[in-house]
Amino acid sequence: MARSERELLLVKRTIARLRVAIVAVVTGMVVGFGLFAATAWLVIKGGPTVGPTLGLLRAYYPGYSVTWTGSFVGFAYGTLTGAALGWCVAALYNFLARRRSKRR
Amino acid sequence: MVRLRSGDERTVVVGAGPAGLTAALELGKLGRPGVVFEADDVVGGISRSVVFQGCRLDIGGHRFFTKVPEVEALWHEILGDDLLVRDRMSRIYYRDTFFDYPLKPLNALRGLGLFEAARVMASYLHSQLFPIADETAFDAWVSNRFGRRLFEIFFETYTEKVWGMPCSEISAAWAAQRIKNLDLKTALKNAFLGNGAGNGEVVTSLIDRFLYPRLGPGMMWERCRDLAASNGIETHLRSRVVRVHHAGARVEAVEVEGPDGETRREEAGALISSMPIGALVRAMQPAAPAEVLAAADSLRYRDFLIVGLIVDRAELFPDNWIYVHAPEVRVGRVQSFKNWSPEMVSDPELSFIGLEYFANRGDDLWNMTDDDLVELGAAEAGVIGLFEPGEVRAGTVVRMPRAYPVYDAGYETRLQTLRDWLERFDNLYTVGRNGQHRYNNQDHSMLAGLFAARGVAGEKLDLWSINEDQSFHEELSGEEAERHGMRDRLTPSRAETDVESMLQDAFALYDEVAMGGAVGITASLALAIATAALLLGSGQEFVPMLSLLGQYLFGYQVTWPGLLIGTIEAGLVGFGLGWFTARMINLMVAAFERSLERRLATMTTLEAMTGGMRGQE
Repeated sequence: MARSERELLLVKRTIARLRVAIVAVVTGMVVGFGLFAATAWLVIKGGPTVGPTLGLLRAYYPGYSVTWTGSFVGFAYGTLTGAALGWCVAALYNFLARRRSKRR
Repeated sequence: MVRLRSGDERTVVVGAGPAGLTAALELGKLGRPGVVFEADDVVGGISRSVVFQGCRLDIGGHRFFTKVPEVEALWHEILGDDLLVRDRMSRIYYRDTFFDYPLKPLNALRGLGLFEAARVMASYLHSQLFPIADETAFDAWVSNRFGRRLFEIFFETYTEKVWGMPCSEISAAWAAQRIKNLDLKTALKNAFLGNGAGNGEVVTSLIDRFLYPRLGPGMMWERCRDLAASNGIETHLRSRVVRVHHAGARVEAVEVEGPDGETRREEAGALISSMPIGALVRAMQPAAPAEVLAAADSLRYRDFLIVGLIVDRAELFPDNWIYVHAPEVRVGRVQSFKNWSPEMVSDPELSFIGLEYFANRGDDLWNMTDDDLVELGAAEAGVIGLFEPGEVRAGTVVRMPRAYPVYDAGYETRLQTLRDWLERFDNLYTVGRNGQHRYNNQDHSMLAGLFAARGVAGEKLDLWSINEDQSFHEELSGEEAERHGMRDRLTPSRAETDVESMLQDAFALYDEVAMGGAVGITASLALAIATAALLLGSGQEFVPMLSLLGQYLFGYQVTWPGLLIGTIEAGLVGFGLGWFTARMINLMVAAFERSLERRLATMTTLEAMTGGMRGQE
């Protein structure tokens, strides 16, 4: 088999692995910034009652509120939560993919 | 003069072509004793120069180019200033029109005309929409990539002339073997960055210029023979090796039939053979097992003859060579040797051209008399419009049997049978195009000769890896490889790793089930934790919010039973989302990969065409 054919075969058989740390950092940043932006947007909009629904997140994030301070607290919590979720998905994916490739 | 080491047994080299003489030269440099036996009365094999009335004929036209620095250095070492740098020009003749070769789109379009170009496009679209499912044959393989019409114009006739069989009977693997110099890494670079990416100088040099000995390729091998002789390795012409005696795992001696017809025994410390591998196996005594002999007898070759014509005109055409795709003539290619080197003709007012015919020994072409062949050549040159037959001053014919190993169905299995049997001999090395039944170019054969000589001297080198892959698989360390000046080719693992890592990054597919599982489990856990946190602690005001998930997760509530139901459903939904995401990514990657493969196939087919034609050079 020619080298190029082997390489094409290799491409077809190659299964992607996720880099756990990178996925965790990226999802952490996305969720963290997302919560920060969502909170800050409501604070900027203002009004008689600011963010009553989003504020319920304090049930999970002690110290969080829909304020400027809360947006930074939310950023920290969001980052941690997102990182944990991302890490979990990537690590589980790699674990399952590895087991499945061994079976194949 | 290199002093021979006493006590060394003499190495017998069979064949004085590029592989054999390079081996002889290297043996001499290494101080190993040796001798070369050549059945013919000239050196050079298919790379010889034939002199006719003071003009020189190159059998096939040998463009000297290589990607192996050591081989190129050897050329310069052997010939010095006699190695010229020549500009290349070649065209394809088809339907009274000359097309630039390598093909240029605008030139091809102009040559074909609008109607034919439209047919080509329609045919191409048809091939893309309804590709031939079975791609094992060459015609289907090319048609699927270029369209049937383009295949008929630029591939079919010439390929069938060269190989003497219908393209439907030629294995598509033939093209694959000829694309050895183009790996996916290069293709990717070319696809993304253009043809000259990364090694533009090399690409340009292969297309536009080449090296060529002042008096033709035979000059190289005559000089090489003399250099080997100065180191004590003599070449005996008209000396055919008819038997090879072996015992245990070693070759012990050969029987040589000399010019006088007498057969004599020559002891052999080692044997480097460039004789056809089938003939070598047939010559072995004691004889090989029956199945090995059967395999030896079944390898096929394509023969070749060239009609040399001295024409009474100073300038005929500017090309080094012209591929003749026109089905109305039998000639496959026309050379103008004067355009290879001005010194290939005795008188600058004359031209010396070679009309190349591909034949099988015993067929009508092969059996024609020389006079008839000269007449045929002159007439066909007239049909093409190169010159009038009446302008021919004199003509000659050179027949070259077994010029090309044929890759017919099953040849790989038969060749492997021969290899398996021959590899039991510790001191036997097979080199050269016919020695390995491989479509080697001159540089590959030379490299095989070098490796064989070094193998005799104790190095461990895999001759069969030459021309099999871009990289070689020797048991050499990187330092040793560096010493040979061929690090890139001698360190395949690094090249493979580069390609692999690049491919993994670029095209790896996601495991859809694994991705579904990962997202599903994570979603499940997240919902379980979120629900449990509310059930176990404070934050009751968030309960109505989380309960809204019940709109999507049937039966979910912020209760312990709801947690169980929600966890299961979140797992299923998460699995679906993860699987779907991975699936979509994979489909997109696959579509991109197919597009890339088509581009790769286009390039490799063109390379195959170049290689196929280059094989005759």
